[in-house]
Amino acid sequence: MVVGIKDALKLIGISIIACCAVFVCTLFLDYNIDIAAMKNEITTAGGITMYNAIVSTGKVVAAVSGGCLAITSVIMLLFYVKNYIDTHGRELGILKALGYSNFKIAKHFWVFGSSVFVGCALGYGLAFLYLPSFYELQNAEHLFPEIKVQFHLSVAFLLVGVPAISFAALAVIYACFRLKTPVLDLLKEKCAYKAAVSEKETKDMPFLKELTRSTVRSRKSFVFFIAFSAFCFSAMVQMSMSMTDLSSKEMAVMILTIGLILAFMTLFLSLSSVVKGNTKTIAMMRVFGYKHSDCSKAVLGGYRPFSYIGFAIGTIYQYALLKIMVTIVFADVGNVPEYSFDFTACAITLGLFIPTYEIAMYGYSRRIKKLPLKSVMLE
Amino acid sequence: MISISDIEKSYGNAGNKNQVLKRISLQITDGDFVVILGASGSGKSTFLNVISGLERPDSGSVIYGTTDITKLSDGALTQFRKDNIGFIFQQYYLLPNMTVEKNVRMGADLAGNREYREMITAVGLEDKTGKYPGELSGGEQQRVSVARALAKKPKTLFLDEPTGALDEQTGRQVLDYICRLHKEYGFTIVMVTHNQNIAEMANTIIKMNSGKIAAVYTNEKQKTAYEIGW
Repeated sequence: MVVGIKDALKLIGISIIACCAVFVCTLFLDYNIDIAAMKNEITTAGGITMYNAIVSTGKVVAAVSGGCLAITSVIMLLFYVKNYIDTHGRELGILKALGYSNFKIAKHFWVFGSSVFVGCALGYGLAFLYLPSFYELQNAEHLFPEIKVQFHLSVAFLLVGVPAISFAALAVIYACFRLKTPVLDLLKEKCAYKAAVSEKETKDMPFLKELTRSTVRSRKSFVFFIAFSAFCFSAMVQMSMSMTDLSSKEMAVMILTIGLILAFMTLFLSLSSVVKGNTKTIAMMRVFGYKHSDCSKAVLGGYRPFSYIGFAIGTIYQYALLKIMVTIVFADVGNVPEYSFDFTACAITLGLFIPTYEIAMYGYSRRIKKLPLKSVMLE
Repeated sequence: MISISDIEKSYGNAGNKNQVLKRISLQITDGDFVVILGASGSGKSTFLNVISGLERPDSGSVIYGTTDITKLSDGALTQFRKDNIGFIFQQYYLLPNMTVEKNVRMGADLAGNREYREMITAVGLEDKTGKYPGELSGGEQQRVSVARALAKKPKTLFLDEPTGALDEQTGRQVLDYICRLHKEYGFTIVMVTHNQNIAEMANTIIKMNSGKIAAVYTNEKQKTAYEIGW
């Protein structure tokens, strides 16, 4: 088998994202379906207004969280497939040289879909366990009759079956596309490393500065993941602070937990991949006598600006999302507090983000220091 | 002068210990061209790694002038390599996403060498400075690796099977560049190879067998890269 379950296990990042996305979507979709079933029993004006607000909130949260996390998972999956083909070019090239068709090889990549299945199933299971508490929380003011948790096969299929099948199919199709690379290029593991900037522009640039630039340029997907990690941290931490006033403490804790899991997992997986992908470069630099701090700066330093950009986008995103919720979705609901940009929350989040990010960088810098010099010669 | 005394190196744990270097002692004179010959598994690459500071021995000393590199901290050892040592490997190990020029600058910037383009010209690659390693032949890549190693102006150059991945003609060409640059700059060369013919280019030939030095010869009539057999 070309790709095994062991390879799929490396896609733990996708599993976690899928788990979070399905967890949130299950809560809101199940609740929307169950509450819709007793719409006729809601007769008070306050209850109807609240019902409309809750249904709209459910749709917005499920669409935004689910959509956003699904896009991230797709990008991550495509990245993993590409990376797998790039790093296993020799094995795949030999199979192609022996006469295996692209599709015959690519069909094994369905295994990558199993990571999505695991994440979705876990997210669905956890959400189902949490549903009773969530229902109570949503109906804390007893505006609606008591709602019992129901199992909806359609939701389970939509949130577990469909993503698993779609991602497995996507992995196969994308692998088939990537395998169109000529056999010799696969065998030589020849990657397109061409610089995106002109030779003239970088001609007099010192080696370390150019290395920082080329490291970022040659692994652009990590720019996205590292920015996404900062985005999650920024958006979810700030949102959780506002949620305490706008919704409830439980909701705030839920958002904070999901945000931190996503942020840390994405950051650690990205930085691990960056270090792993540059092992030979780092080892070679140290063989030549570059200090470990120079190696760390060159390999990891280029991503720092993007993490702060991610943080800024996350701040704008959470502000826009909450503003829309408060002014449009909950427009007709009384007792909704005014919402304006929370500078204190932003400052606290930034104050937490900077040391957290720098500690993570320091940790990976230590890892670079521990890389054996002989790793360059072990091939 | 490099003085190597009683070097021992083993791999594996107590129950399954494999002693690769067995109390090796040797002296290498400045400016010498030393070839270490030996069959696969004789310990020659480990010996090169130890005397170049890439690996630490279990015991013994490696003294450059007055500095025992086995006693240096990791930071000091890195600084030592930066100031004194150049490497050329069989597999080139060029940075794939950097042009020829930038790969050579990797070595040059460490020594503050602004004249690094001379080294690119010296290995005959002046018209390929903007190319990436993937766009070069094996011989050209090894020449970049020669230029990169020499651009940092090392006092000692270590070569681990530099022609191992090259065909005869390209191998001769690379060795010829190394020899010419050796004569011009006067650095010390320590080369590991299993090719007996290449040894005829050296002043000193060290034969290794089972982790020990089996013989040391002095070669009075050094041949050029084009005079040796292959």
